[in-house]
Amino acid sequence: MSHTVLIAGAWISAGLTIFLFSFLYKDNPFFKIAEHLYLGAGMGWWCQIYFGVLQEKVWTPLTHHEWLVLLPALLGLSLITQFIPKISWLSRYGFTFLMGYGSGLAIPAGLATDFINQIGGTIQPFANLAGMTAFTLFNSVLMAVGVICVLIYFFFSLEHKGAIKKVSNVGIYFLMIYFGAAFGNTVMARFSLLYGRFDSLYTFSGKQYLYATQVILIAMVTYFILHGFLTRNKADQDEEAA
Amino acid sequence: MKLIKKTIPLAIVFVFGILTLLTYYVPHKHSVDFLETMNKWENIVTAFAFFLGLISLFYAHSTKISRKADGWGYSLFVFVGFLAIIIPAYISKGKNMNGAELTWMGWAFQYIYNPLSATMFAVLAFYIVSTAYKSFRIKSLQAFVLFVAAMFLILGNVPLGQIIWDKMLGWTGYNISQVVDWIMHVPAVAGKRGIMIGISIGAVVTALKIIFGIERQYLGKD
Repeated sequence: MSHTVLIAGAWISAGLTIFLFSFLYKDNPFFKIAEHLYLGAGMGWWCQIYFGVLQEKVWTPLTHHEWLVLLPALLGLSLITQFIPKISWLSRYGFTFLMGYGSGLAIPAGLATDFINQIGGTIQPFANLAGMTAFTLFNSVLMAVGVICVLIYFFFSLEHKGAIKKVSNVGIYFLMIYFGAAFGNTVMARFSLLYGRFDSLYTFSGKQYLYATQVILIAMVTYFILHGFLTRNKADQDEEAA
Repeated sequence: MKLIKKTIPLAIVFVFGILTLLTYYVPHKHSVDFLETMNKWENIVTAFAFFLGLISLFYAHSTKISRKADGWGYSLFVFVGFLAIIIPAYISKGKNMNGAELTWMGWAFQYIYNPLSATMFAVLAFYIVSTAYKSFRIKSLQAFVLFVAAMFLILGNVPLGQIIWDKMLGWTGYNISQVVDWIMHVPAVAGKRGIMIGISIGAVVTALKIIFGIERQYLGKD
């Protein structure tokens, strides 16, 4: 890939990044352009992936005379009838297959991973009671108490009053710790993306990329100043005319 | 008509649901093969479902352009973005790299899709901070607990947090990453487990309702 193409890439990348960040100032046409481009590019990305799936799992087997793949292909094609109101009911065949398969898969997966494994994980540490230190015993008891309290908080068949209310209130604290931890993790993930974008902008501000970041940034700022100035003048004129 | 419009679709849900469910509990080669085949089928049907969404999106935006509706010019960029990925993907036959060299597809991913995707989510960082400011106004002990857990997680992952911890609580002999580790592995897990157990019960019940045709809203209206 030639150096010119890479420089063009740097300019596009820096431009799109700044366009999207410009929303932090206010909604503007550059942000909307980048937003729509993202929608299109995202669909393009998934389109090439799913096109590959159809090529690998439908087209290639058909060339090897494996006709059974016609069945899921027809179920899939039935979904497209959504656009033809008269026969849109045909799309139910495709959807019901997805629902049936998904439901059948969700039951054992949900039971094994989210139910049995979680209960097992809470109880299992107590199997090694003799080998536990005071700290690990404390942790295991705390976790077991926490799980029970949270479950009681979500148990609505009993009225939450008296002792039940007290226990469910303890459950809220465990939930708050989880929500706080989840929030903290989300913030850190978003910020790491932010650092990544700033790092890219810094890279593209170099001489080898013809100062892409600075040029685009100055152009954007100039646009906002001029736009603000012109719209204010227009608003003043309209006010005077009125 | 009721047979082909309602009964057969419900039978499809029941048959595929029960068979998929049984394969998990029947340790036999046939059930493994069946599950593998169903997985392939699901991939195929999902691919078509994606194209359903794609056609719908294109239809909405092309209608907007043809009617010159408000902001129709932006709709053109949906198609530009789509072509900006699809054409390089076609040229590069879906490969990002050709040896050590970037293909056109890799170029489009690195310089178009990745900046758009990463920046879109990075912008959320600012909104998260502003939301945090509003929601972290500590009005109760529970809100305080949430705040403390979040602060430990945030500060525990940056050098600044370690410096603050060392200055204020260094005498304890623990470092902040150990505290974060403890929060993540003990009290946070307790909260998470309670939620996961609740979700799994809800998911299993909903799945059973779908398989037995009690829940059929997804079929739409006649």
